[in-house]
Amino acid sequence: MTLANPLMTASGTCGYADEYADFVDLTQLGAFVTKSITAKPRAGNNYQRVIETRAGMLNAIGLANVGLDVFLAEKVPLLAALALPVFVNVAGTTVDDYLAVADALESVDIVRGVELNISCPNVKAGGIQFGTDPEQVRLITGELRKVCRTNILIVKLSPNVTDIAAIAAAAVDAGADALSMINTFTAMAVDIDTRRPVLANGTGGLSGPAIRPIAVYMVHKVYTQVAQAAGVPIIGMGGIQHAHDAVEFLLAGATGLAVGTALFVEPGCLMDIRDGIGDYLDSHGFASVTDIIGTLEV
Amino acid sequence: MSEPSVKKRGSYLAEVLANEVVCDDHGRLILDVAHFPPTAPGQFIQLMCRPPTPPEAGRAIEWRDGQTPQFTQAELLDSQPLLRRPFSIAGRREHAGGASELDIVYCVKGVGTRWLAGVNAGQSLSVLGPLGNSFVIRRDKPAAALVGGGVGIPPLLYLAEQLATAGKETVAFIGARSADRLPLRLLPNADVRTDGAPSHCAAELAAYGVETAIATDDGSLGMAGVVGEAFGKWLDGSAVSAENVVVYSCGPEAMMEAVALMSLAAGAECQLSLERYMACGMGTCQSCVCKLRDDSAQGWAYKLCCADGPVFDAAQIVWD
Ligand SMILES: Cc1cc2nc3c(=O)[nH]c(=O)nc-3n(C[C@H](O)[C@H](O)[C@H](O)COP(=O)(O)OP(=O)(O)OC[C@H]3O[C@@H](n4cnc5c(N)ncnc54)[C@H](O)[C@@H]3O)c2cc1C
Ligand SMILES: Cc1cc2nc3c(=O)[nH]c(=O)nc-3n(C[C@H](O)[C@H](O)[C@H](O)COP(=O)(O)O)c2cc1C
Ligand code: FES
Repeated sequence: MTLANPLMTASGTCGYADEYADFVDLTQLGAFVTKSITAKPRAGNNYQRVIETRAGMLNAIGLANVGLDVFLAEKVPLLAALALPVFVNVAGTTVDDYLAVADALESVDIVRGVELNISCPNVKAGGIQFGTDPEQVRLITGELRKVCRTNILIVKLSPNVTDIAAIAAAAVDAGADALSMINTFTAMAVDIDTRRPVLANGTGGLSGPAIRPIAVYMVHKVYTQVAQAAGVPIIGMGGIQHAHDAVEFLLAGATGLAVGTALFVEPGCLMDIRDGIGDYLDSHGFASVTDIIGTLEV
Repeated sequence: MSEPSVKKRGSYLAEVLANEVVCDDHGRLILDVAHFPPTAPGQFIQLMCRPPTPPEAGRAIEWRDGQTPQFTQAELLDSQPLLRRPFSIAGRREHAGGASELDIVYCVKGVGTRWLAGVNAGQSLSVLGPLGNSFVIRRDKPAAALVGGGVGIPPLLYLAEQLATAGKETVAFIGARSADRLPLRLLPNADVRTDGAPSHCAAELAAYGVETAIATDDGSLGMAGVVGEAFGKWLDGSAVSAENVVVYSCGPEAMMEAVALMSLAAGAECQLSLERYMACGMGTCQSCVCKLRDDSAQGWAYKLCCADGPVFDAAQIVWD
């Protein structure tokens, strides 16, 4: 599958479909990635759900989403109007939850891929446990592989692990078509007056520019140790705000790029990043972004 | 040729016309924004509390071998906040050529608002909006009461103007910690009543014919105590019957809860503007949840303060 350009939205930072339509021409994206969808609707965690930290933010939304049925009935028509490849991020607490959603998405035309979220740090059962153990990753990826017959299967990796390459290898072995990385880092902010965590959930996931250097490192590690040899593309994300940041990820080995937290500040940054990558390629004499993927010299 | 459709909202570059001190901890920004979409009281904007990202930060980067690239680490430049900060529209004026003037009244709380306090006329600010829903002015209700405290006062100023245009009889009840933290100017020789009765005293509200009662926590101006008390007295003693009044309130949650209870008990309609910590303001991050009644088993569901609100019918709010 070929995308018009590498830019995508990061799950959970762009709504379900056209929420940013007033701010950016979404049809110019390479692909649209939805908020995590679960089999049943989820109300999510108690308030307070986010807090800004230095060069980043913590979130503990708790996968609040409308659930599969409402997604299919109300959001899919809006997505269809974007006329873009859509990747639906799928989450759950049991393997069956994931399978139910992924299976239903097979019959939706505009959906071209499933992004398997086994890395959300903010739900109590399941979620991150799947994503931190290579055996669990192999198992769930293998099960999903069976139901994703026409949709591509993207596995979204958690950075909250000792060796992310081992997790990536398990996902690739079990049939992942692409890897998405990274999700947020488990973190905590403290209200020193009340002596409690700021977020009602206690912990939250750190995103934004603060995590970018670690994300770039992890993309490079997975690219060189697993993905390049297997021919599996990486969708890189974590703190991308400007074209410079995006180029870092491309050089480190990412083929696709997703922007998350920066959309909260300026949805239009997607187009600035896309154009800025073009300017970089021109000024360095490259014909196409594929010419620079993974060309980092170390 | 068809007219270009009017944008409902977007991202705009504003020029700061003025940044004035209002009291010890409040300032007023007057922003000039060309072609800003139509707005209504209760709506807010997301202000970037740092210099707008130069477009070239993401583009046309001059990279030459052996040279240090420009704008490579934009985040190192700003120890200022990453996320925008939400502010209510406190007033709006139109000028020839599609220029709009927006008033923002801000209270200095933390890193973002401290930066705003240092902004100079002529500087550019990035404005995203208008966002959220708005207060509803009822055709069939001739009277209105505004109850505001702290950072909840600014949207009521814009509302007071529109209520005056709609010909409503309006009174206001304003709470502050102390006289020097009141984000309103007093008229010369203002007679601020210590019994909590409204009078023509606050310049910004008197401009729309609105009499104002002021309450301060420390009693340094007006009535000593909470503003809800002054409002309650008025509600009990007013010649206007409650069915003819719409109560509009914005401010600390405890104040709004008290105002809601009194208003609803008296049979007055009550609209509240809630405040939540917001990351996006555009309905995508799901961070700004409020509990609103519904017919589910648990009796409530989450709504988004930024997209479904910030204004909600007080009768529908579930207080924690
Ligand atoms: C819809 C809406 C309209 C608002 N209108 C106005 C207005 O007209 N004038 C005005 O002065 N303020 C208004 N506020 C509040 C204002 O957004 C916050 O005071 C501001 O974001 C603080 O930013 P800071 O960087 O200075 O503080 P920070 O350094 O971010 O934080 C300082 C303190 O303020 C708290 N805080 C930060 N943001 C919020 C928030 N959104 N809600 C509650 N507490 C918060 C933090 O938890 C912390 O305790 C509004 C908020 C909302 C949601
Ligand atoms: C508020 C918020 C909600 C998120 N929700 C999801 C989600 O539902 N599913 C998911 O896979 N990732 C979710 N993420 C993670 C992002 O998709 C992304 O992996 C991460 O934020 C790093 O990118 P960034 O630094 O550009 O934001 C969320 C992130 C944020 C900030
Ligand atoms: S602030 Fe993001 S959904 Fe309301």
